[in-house]
Amino acid sequence: MSIFCLGVNHKTAPVEIRERLAFAEKAVPQHLVEICGIEEISEAVVLSTCNRVEIYGGSENPAAALDKLTEYLSGHFAVAPGEVEFYRHEAVAAAHHLFEVASGLDSMVLGETEIFGQVKKAYATAQTTGMTARRMNKLFQQSFSVGKRVRTSTRIQQGSTSIGSAAVDLSEKIFGQLNGCRVMIIGAGEMSRVTAQSLLSRGARSIIVSNRSFDKAEELASELKGRAVRFDDWENCLDEVDIIISSTAAPHAVVRYEMIQRVMAERRGHSLFLIDIAVPRDIENEVNEIDNVYLYNIDQLQQIATEGIERREKQIVVCRAVIEEFIREKGIEALAGWPDGRGGGVPDRIQPETMARPLTNP
Amino acid sequence: MDELYLILATLAFLGGFVLAVVSLRSEKPRKRGLNISIAVVGLVFQSLFLHVRGDMHGRCPITNGAEVLVFVSWSIVILYLALGKAFRLSLLGVFSMPMVFLFQVVAILYLLVADPGPRPVAVLDPWLELHAAMSLLAYGAFGLAGVAGCMYFFQDRQLKSHRPGRLFYSMPPIRYLVDALVRLLFIGVVLMSVGIVAAFLMKTAPARGHLLISGAVWIVYLILLVTHLVKRLPPKPLSFSAVLAFAFALLTLSAL
Repeated sequence: MSIFCLGVNHKTAPVEIRERLAFAEKAVPQHLVEICGIEEISEAVVLSTCNRVEIYGGSENPAAALDKLTEYLSGHFAVAPGEVEFYRHEAVAAAHHLFEVASGLDSMVLGETEIFGQVKKAYATAQTTGMTARRMNKLFQQSFSVGKRVRTSTRIQQGSTSIGSAAVDLSEKIFGQLNGCRVMIIGAGEMSRVTAQSLLSRGARSIIVSNRSFDKAEELASELKGRAVRFDDWENCLDEVDIIISSTAAPHAVVRYEMIQRVMAERRGHSLFLIDIAVPRDIENEVNEIDNVYLYNIDQLQQIATEGIERREKQIVVCRAVIEEFIREKGIEALAGWPDGRGGGVPDRIQPETMARPLTNP
Repeated sequence: MDELYLILATLAFLGGFVLAVVSLRSEKPRKRGLNISIAVVGLVFQSLFLHVRGDMHGRCPITNGAEVLVFVSWSIVILYLALGKAFRLSLLGVFSMPMVFLFQVVAILYLLVADPGPRPVAVLDPWLELHAAMSLLAYGAFGLAGVAGCMYFFQDRQLKSHRPGRLFYSMPPIRYLVDALVRLLFIGVVLMSVGIVAAFLMKTAPARGHLLISGAVWIVYLILLVTHLVKRLPPKPLSFSAVLAFAFALLTLSAL
């Protein structure tokens, strides 16, 4: 009895293929029942996210199970032969793959944590449906342990990986927790919206939006639950905010040195963080020379993100060593092919009467 | 035996600092617990040193420059252990360790070259003991405020340069550094105020020069704190003043 994994991800299939293969969340339990109905497959977990569709399972004959599963997916999602190249892993390779997925090493944004929750949810769905047995239970529980260990014993999560996350990380290094930080957007562009949303997701509040077209400012302010101010009035709001994101299409500087110097005199030592994502730049470079004012333009943020990505890439080797160490600790047999008769009292194959109800709560 | 305790404490702080630097440069995250454990070991040896010296003199062990330096170092370590986490200041210990190490190396050299030996007193004055202990604890708080000021300059420079290094991500936010600096100044001023009040209650009036120097340090810090509370000094001048004031306080120690 061994485990296997079959799937596609953002590295092996374009979005057009992934969206066709994606399992609708509500349909997953039904699919699990159908997959476990395949003779060679004794238990299964479906992991379907925007970047991957993977099926993990247990089988006496993994090679045959993978063939049948490929047929099932091709038939169900109307995929022509040769149109999709599924990757197939068996035994320890399958466990190793899941461990890398749970640790964020196989993610589009290296080291991101969202996937960990998605793996947990996929397992919970399979368990609630009654489609997991000894192997999947053990495999997934171990994947959670590995994921946690990788994140706590390496620097895989350190550093920013995008302009938005760089802006948030810098804000937190200036203000600490962003709860209570006030943000102003000058120029209601897409980049401003994304950056402001990143800040809001970390606790920033009180968004003020200003734009040459007041309608657009109101639209974005409404989306971000903030307030719009007219473009000839934003200067009067400067003393109300801690973070300014500027991305207008103006051909000249909009935020000038004298303006900020004047505002800082009234801020009684409170720092001001300026994010200039406009090209040509909106904020005069000299502004960064004022005490307690920190100005970053789009190139500088991009540079931080690039360095963050490089730093994370260097961590892959360290993370893989952690996974290898975990596999050595637990033993290959324990991960991939428990011999029959090993204790635990949980059956190797889910019993028909346990289907569609949780194993842990019969 | 007392000198051995002091050497062991000094080695512990040096070891803690070296380990922290190695860990910050490594690919693996820093184990904060390890640094704290090492600081606790150092504190235990410092306490043993002070205990032995206290037994020897029959009073608070601050009878010579070496003991005063060790007492200030002990105050810095104990305040860091007590407040570092509450103030959310990671790396405060790492930045403090070189100063503690330096103070203790000077203390060891002093004791090796010219240990004045026991200096017992005929009658113990609890107000004198309280004055000395509170004043030196205040020096510990002022020392940590100076360290927080240095950390502020470091982090400000990293942010202004647009090229934050690896240490940047392990450092606390600059707002927390400034908040902690003000709280440490406050703690220091309160402790020193208690020390000065105790000085006026002593059985024998303190020496005029001693009182003037203590008063000068107290006034410098009081002015700094009140100016900040009233006018809210910007972080840079505040940090600079905290570093400068501690340098002044250290100079007065030699006079005391």
